[in-house]
Amino acid sequence: MKRHLFTLIICIILFASCKKNIEIYPLSNVTTATFYKNTTDIQTALIGCYNGLQKPLLEEWKMSELRSDNAIMGNAASKSVPNRDLSDLDLFIPNTSHQGIYNFWINTYANIRNVNVLLNSLNVNYSKSTGSITSDTSAVLISSKDKKELSAEAAFIRAYHYFNLVRQFGGVFLVHEPLSPFDATSLNRETADEIYKLIIADLSYAIANGPAFKYASIPAATLGRVNSWTAKALLAKVYLTQNRKADAIPLLTDIISNSGYGLVATYSDVFSISNEMNREILFAIRYKAGGIGLGSPFPNSFAPELSGTAVIIGDGGGFNTPSSDLNLTYAATDLRKGISIGEYGNTKVLYPKKMISPVSIVNDAENDWIVMRFADVVLMLAEAQGNTTASLALINQTRKRAGLTDLLPAAVSTVALFEKELANERRLEFTFENMRWYDLMRYNKTMTTITAEQTLKNHYSAVYVAHYGKYPSPRPTLAQIQAYITTDRLLLPIPQREIDNNTTLKIPQNPGY
Amino acid sequence: MYLLLFALLIYSGSTFAQKIEVKGKVVDQSTGEPLGGVSIITNKIKGALLTKQDGTFALSLDKGASTLVFTYVGYVPQSVSASTSTVLNILLVPNTLSQEEVVVIGYGTQKKSSLTGAVVKYKNDRMDESPLSRLDQALQGRIAGLTVQNISSEAGAAPKINIRGISSINAGSSPLVVVDGQPIPDGLAFLNMADVESVEVLKDAASAAIYGSRGSGGVILVTTKKGTADKPKYVLKYSVGEKKDYKRYDIMTTGEYIGLLFQEMAKRAQDSTVLPANNTVADGDRASYVVENLFRGGQSTDWQGESLRPATFQNVMLSVAGGKKDVRYFLSTGYQNDEGMMYKSNYEKLNIRTRVDLDLSKKVKLSLNVNPSYSKRSAPSENFTNFWRFPTWLPVYHNAATAAFVNTNPQYAGIRAGDYAHPRHFSGLSYAGSMPDGTNWTSGATTVNPSGSAQQNPKSAVIRTDISNNEYRLQSSADLNIILLPGLTFKTLASTYLNYTNGLDFSRRSANRDGDNNRGEFTNNVFIDLLSENTLNYVKSVGKSDFNILAGFTSQKTTISRDQTAAIDFPSDEIRTLNSAAQLDKLGTFGTKNQIGLLSYLGRLNYAYDDKYLLSASFRADGSSYFGPGNKWGTFPSISLGWVASKEKFLSNIDWLSNLKFRGSYGVSGNNRITDFAFLDLMYGANYSLGSGTGTSSPGLVNSPTIISNPAITWESTYQSNFGLDMSLFSGKLGITLDAYKSKTDKLLLQQSAMAFTGVPQFWNNIGSLRNTGIEIELTTRNIQTKSFKWSTSANISQNKNSIIELGTEAYLLNQGERTEVYRNKVGNPLVQYFGFKTDGVWTSQEQINKAIAGGLTSSLSNVFVPGGLKIVDVNGDNKIDNEDRTDLGNPYPDFTWGITNNFSFKGFDASFSFQGVQGGKLINGDPNYNESRRTIKVYNENRWVSAKFPGDGKTPFSTLGYNWMLTDYVIEDASYVSLRDVNIGYTIPADFMKKLKVNSLRFYLSAQNLYFKTAKGYRGLNPEGRFTNGAYSSVLVDGYQRGSFPIPKTVLIGIDINF
Repeated sequence: MKRHLFTLIICIILFASCKKNIEIYPLSNVTTATFYKNTTDIQTALIGCYNGLQKPLLEEWKMSELRSDNAIMGNAASKSVPNRDLSDLDLFIPNTSHQGIYNFWINTYANIRNVNVLLNSLNVNYSKSTGSITSDTSAVLISSKDKKELSAEAAFIRAYHYFNLVRQFGGVFLVHEPLSPFDATSLNRETADEIYKLIIADLSYAIANGPAFKYASIPAATLGRVNSWTAKALLAKVYLTQNRKADAIPLLTDIISNSGYGLVATYSDVFSISNEMNREILFAIRYKAGGIGLGSPFPNSFAPELSGTAVIIGDGGGFNTPSSDLNLTYAATDLRKGISIGEYGNTKVLYPKKMISPVSIVNDAENDWIVMRFADVVLMLAEAQGNTTASLALINQTRKRAGLTDLLPAAVSTVALFEKELANERRLEFTFENMRWYDLMRYNKTMTTITAEQTLKNHYSAVYVAHYGKYPSPRPTLAQIQAYITTDRLLLPIPQREIDNNTTLKIPQNPGY
Repeated sequence: MYLLLFALLIYSGSTFAQKIEVKGKVVDQSTGEPLGGVSIITNKIKGALLTKQDGTFALSLDKGASTLVFTYVGYVPQSVSASTSTVLNILLVPNTLSQEEVVVIGYGTQKKSSLTGAVVKYKNDRMDESPLSRLDQALQGRIAGLTVQNISSEAGAAPKINIRGISSINAGSSPLVVVDGQPIPDGLAFLNMADVESVEVLKDAASAAIYGSRGSGGVILVTTKKGTADKPKYVLKYSVGEKKDYKRYDIMTTGEYIGLLFQEMAKRAQDSTVLPANNTVADGDRASYVVENLFRGGQSTDWQGESLRPATFQNVMLSVAGGKKDVRYFLSTGYQNDEGMMYKSNYEKLNIRTRVDLDLSKKVKLSLNVNPSYSKRSAPSENFTNFWRFPTWLPVYHNAATAAFVNTNPQYAGIRAGDYAHPRHFSGLSYAGSMPDGTNWTSGATTVNPSGSAQQNPKSAVIRTDISNNEYRLQSSADLNIILLPGLTFKTLASTYLNYTNGLDFSRRSANRDGDNNRGEFTNNVFIDLLSENTLNYVKSVGKSDFNILAGFTSQKTTISRDQTAAIDFPSDEIRTLNSAAQLDKLGTFGTKNQIGLLSYLGRLNYAYDDKYLLSASFRADGSSYFGPGNKWGTFPSISLGWVASKEKFLSNIDWLSNLKFRGSYGVSGNNRITDFAFLDLMYGANYSLGSGTGTSSPGLVNSPTIISNPAITWESTYQSNFGLDMSLFSGKLGITLDAYKSKTDKLLLQQSAMAFTGVPQFWNNIGSLRNTGIEIELTTRNIQTKSFKWSTSANISQNKNSIIELGTEAYLLNQGERTEVYRNKVGNPLVQYFGFKTDGVWTSQEQINKAIAGGLTSSLSNVFVPGGLKIVDVNGDNKIDNEDRTDLGNPYPDFTWGITNNFSFKGFDASFSFQGVQGGKLINGDPNYNESRRTIKVYNENRWVSAKFPGDGKTPFSTLGYNWMLTDYVIEDASYVSLRDVNIGYTIPADFMKKLKVNSLRFYLSAQNLYFKTAKGYRGLNPEGRFTNGAYSSVLVDGYQRGSFPIPKTVLIGIDINF
């Protein structure tokens, strides 16, 4: 009997020590609360923010190229839900619950959160009242140089995201620190000006604190990271978008004279996968093939539908189909046409060829996605300066590389002609680089003779017979389609979910939806 | 009334005083064996008389009506009246509804008579002869309140199972499965049904509360067989049979469908409202007709036939049980092979069980249980939908004509007859041929795509892909019982459950798309669960009071690791080891490890006074690793009371009432089954490539993009009250159990929607509450009980209603499903309601629309006013059709579910028929979302609208016209059904004959499933039980969606059962 009691006691003692049993912490993941401690941690978190740039890009072409006159919804006959969603964007009739718009929104804000958590850990904060960034001491073990550089990069990424949001949605929610779901319901939309204030503050901070090596002396291992020049180029574009041309000019000339960045010899060199991060590339969202989960999905989504292995292994999605009017805009001698636009099969289906390279696994291509390159800086300066001889020389730099003859002053004798030539040049130079839409929107402010609305109406009449006229009946008439484009609808709708989800505040929807 | 009669009988009996002789014999009703020692009580003689050893008796009684009551332990008492001299042959009925029956409850057993909770016992009575490979499927329709739904008919697929409705939203709601004391997540999947002794279902919270934390979804206790001290008894069972699909879709061939299009074109030509320009058959359709008619000579592909096959089902079981006084054993082995109806679908299972019970001393008992098992599951890479919706003009393999035709496209010049045909081969070509109306058609220089599908033909994908999964399990336990003092027992149980799973999904080159690399995904999962349970049990009787006190603590730790490696580019499709792969694919490669811990204290008091007044109170405290510091512990008390009214004096004399018991209980049970570490924000890998050249990958981390943690997250609790009554009438001929319950789940573990601009769409919260109420009735009757013919019935019916009481600050949640269909979760309503537009047939003509518009009807939605399209009802009557007109269109919850089993036996024959069904409840049929189904499934094309002059039945829209069907009630269908779920017919060779062969018994049987299956009117699918949706949408809040329902299996098998 005693023996049994003994066993019992042992059991009880053993059990009492089991308390640890329920104090379990993750074995496969780091937790946020304990992570940000030193330079390596911040660096790791920053790499995560760079990675976070990839996801919104999956949707961005739908908002930029597809809505512009560059691309059409290739599979006109399809009534499948994802295809119909794309058609709705193409025709300016997206519903407020549009999946693509929501994905763009949440994936952008997800990376803004990543940046905010990182900057917050370094105690680098944005003050809404002063419109500037302050950097105070934090608990993280980091040198001030590292802190400056790493936080500058993070601030740039945040500015890049907000710049896309404000151009697509107008005044959005201003989130500049990690936000709890309980506090979020008391936050309403800000004005576009407030968003621009943050963007300019972030970019100014990135210019002041980011590394400023000339291109040739950038340490090889850091190629692809954001630097002071990148921030200057983006800030110049922000100023230009706000029609603050005078503010943009010094930044652009600074880059042209002092950065060491420049145009590469041929147009195809810009996009070649054996020439990544060349001296023309100020900022690219990078991808890497090889089955490491970092490959680009765009070649497979942009190759023609049903093309089998003819264009790329794993077939294509047929998305981002070049419009026939874009195809016809190229001069016969323009070298860029054959690089930017491909033709497939008997019926010569058009597809964007620029960023397609072979893959061995579907959606695993090498091509970086170029966001800003030197040619953009050159043409932005021309846009900022207006119709001057110097501007003409700038435009002729890219024309020349494209194998075209120089534009002569006579060809740009009026403002309208100059604006037309400049807009045209940008369209052909940056085809499918997610620029056309933002450019059109900007021209509404920076140019006097070009409007986004009219450009799109012309685009519809150019392709109606061959394209929209073939939509399944009951199909809209050309006049109906043209009427879809209103000034209000140039902005996307705020995702319905944000409006429905807040029962405390009334979130205003953009007009027109 | 009966009481009165009874009193009269007694009264009249005492008025005469002459002698009569009553004699006879008492035998067992089922075996015919004489029963000695049966006591006979009459109102004429004081004290009791006993029957002799041979069952005979003789009495001399005062003349007049007398009542003789025959009672014997284990038999239903029987009363007979006699008024004259007579010979009585008394057949005593064994008391299977016996009060002595013992029921397994949490951490112990209890006499059924003193049970106070809602516990149902289901004995393994030929359950293992059903052509089913899983125990949970065998429970379908057997137990009131337990719903089992075969959401897939694939071999070995898990059904959806729940007890008393859904009590949780984002935390798991399935019942806890406990096998011989050890909670095992896949307990119902791997067991050999022949090893099962009984299954007990703890339905109410009071019974489940002893399992505290995990009891809110109810508890299923499985008890396996053990040996008895006897000579070895061998059982061999073998059965084999065939499985076939009950019903297929009626699919139109391309020839039939294009023929229909031409007929419709001819009709429209007679209609002046149709513009000739709009009255054509599309080039793609014409081209598909050319392929089928010209290149294939009118032959079409039966894609359903390409995917389905008659499959075999095989089951072998061998066991031996026996023992000596101190050692008892049960050994068994079972093998099952369940072939799926689809090619490449298969489930194989091998089980071995060893159970040894040892009496080490009078006070110490040890029992050991070792149960290794192995199962292998393979699955087709394409689901059934992808087969039937494929166009019939496309051949599986090219013939000479189709190959020559596609060769004209230089890209496909290499294709030869016998190669797989894919839709893309037929794109970008010019077509010419004769049409169904006899005209000749040519596409000229324009190229045509007869199908826009980018998919590979499904058969080729299935044949070239192998998906297989091997599971190796070892469940073992040892428990030691020590009697410390008289009545005081200490029990300690150590139990382990190991599960190692390895799988390989391998696709050969070009399996999914031309030019695709071959690819293998290797999975290795290890699941280790260790459990220690220690209980003290004290049993004591003082006078009429019986006490049973239990106290214990348990500790459980689970370790789970999952590894997956994906690799591509194997030099040969047949060499499939990792070493030969040229490259790894990070996207399919990961490894995680996790631990889960649970610590519990528990206690229970059972008290019975005079077996009449019963009380049970239990308490459990659980600490769970799922919650953060300070929120780990939850407490789960319960109390239940019972009153055996039939034992009261004023009822004890009623001969037709053998048992009447009232039960009432109230208890709390919990739920912690959420994702791991909901209280912590985790970081996930997010690498990025930097540096010169193509860059070098650098390690990066980001915060979770899917959900924000909540450090305050804690237990979800379900409070449930239950009222029940058990009745046994007419000498046990009729047994009734009735239960009514009401439960409320509070502090729901909810993945609440966050504002998306926080960067994360959801966050964890304990918010809201849910209610479930229901009634359950179980009936057992012994209709005919003679020596040679017996007929008994058991039936159950249950009803459950749920409603949302609160959802935090939200009035409702709207959830979108896979195909934009909308589900509403609204406070005050059932958990899920389909939310969309009501329709009233179709708009038959533009004229009709114009009239409506002239009447002031407007709409802000597109495609609303289209002739041939659905006519949406202006529900709110504001003359404007908009989103405000969306309304509730029904819910997935049945009005009631039922099951009824009839058992017959006649001499050596036995038969049992189980019907089972679900009444009410609706589903959303997802098939109409797909153009292919609208075109190919006949039911969508019959009587459809053609033009104003030929409006069809006025209810069926034209396939491409009008408003999106998925947002309307047009796709909402009745999910009710009635099925003859199980049939078992057997013949046992007479024992006398078998004795010579030294065989105890030999029985042949035929067992069948789903011989009859009737679906509701208006249901257009194949299987109303089927539920299939994209993984991303499989949420409790998006319930009732069905896409590509897999056919119901109809299985017939024959078997043999030998005992020797």
